[in-house]
Amino acid sequence: MMNFVLFMSLCFVLGGLAVASNPSPYYGVVGLVVASIAGCGWLVSLGVSFMSLVLVMVYLGGMLVVFVYSVSLAADPYPEAWADWRVIGYGLGMVLVIVVGVVVGGVSGMSMEVGTVNNVGLSSLRVDFTGVAMFYSRGAGLFLIGGYGLLLTLFVVLELVRGLSRGAIRAV
Amino acid sequence: MSILHLSFYSTFTLAGLGLAFHRTHLISALLCLEGMMLSMYVALTMWPIQTQTSSPMVLPILMLTFSACEAGTGLALLVASTRTHGSDHLHNFNLLQC
Repeated sequence: MMNFVLFMSLCFVLGGLAVASNPSPYYGVVGLVVASIAGCGWLVSLGVSFMSLVLVMVYLGGMLVVFVYSVSLAADPYPEAWADWRVIGYGLGMVLVIVVGVVVGGVSGMSMEVGTVNNVGLSSLRVDFTGVAMFYSRGAGLFLIGGYGLLLTLFVVLELVRGLSRGAIRAV
Repeated sequence: MSILHLSFYSTFTLAGLGLAFHRTHLISALLCLEGMMLSMYVALTMWPIQTQTSSPMVLPILMLTFSACEAGTGLALLVASTRTHGSDHLHNFNLLQC
């Protein structure tokens, strides 16, 4: 079971590598989709399925969809492919980061594992559901601040894309 | 450092490097920023799993909220740049060049 989590974390890192070393934004979006699906699989296999659901719906289904059609606005019509020295450079950078992490953290620390929330006993309350439900009881102030921030962002975006002419539909 | 911690640390650092060394497009830098937010979400979720406390599970949701705000603002800047200069190439941002 632990091997599945490790495979998901490997796919997560490879997706991050694809985002960082993209020759064209199309490949960056593909890498981000792979990384977010791997992150969801990782969280599900650790037991917190609600956080994975929130990630899929809000991040993948909301934000990345907007990024995909913004990439179609902004990217080149004839993108370059993967065979480039930049990808090799980023791959070497990743190996360097991992080596530094292992040296600083110590190789003996790798034997510790993160436990899952399905560990012991019977429980009708899950960690993730009850934790997020605190948003509505104790964390109501944070909830209102988050809602105010989202409303403010709506007006910020409206001001930023104002442009010279008005109208509901306009070409870019 | 356990292997799982190392993996989201590596993803965060890689996306941060991609943000620092952005080359042609503004949207590549925005995608790297989203990668950093994704790795922070997974990291913030793994902390209450490991300590078996339920209260900090609010933090990834809140972080995702503000990350959505930031992504929307970044995309609005991208659209504004495309409307002004015709593309989102980074060499168009040369207004402060001496």
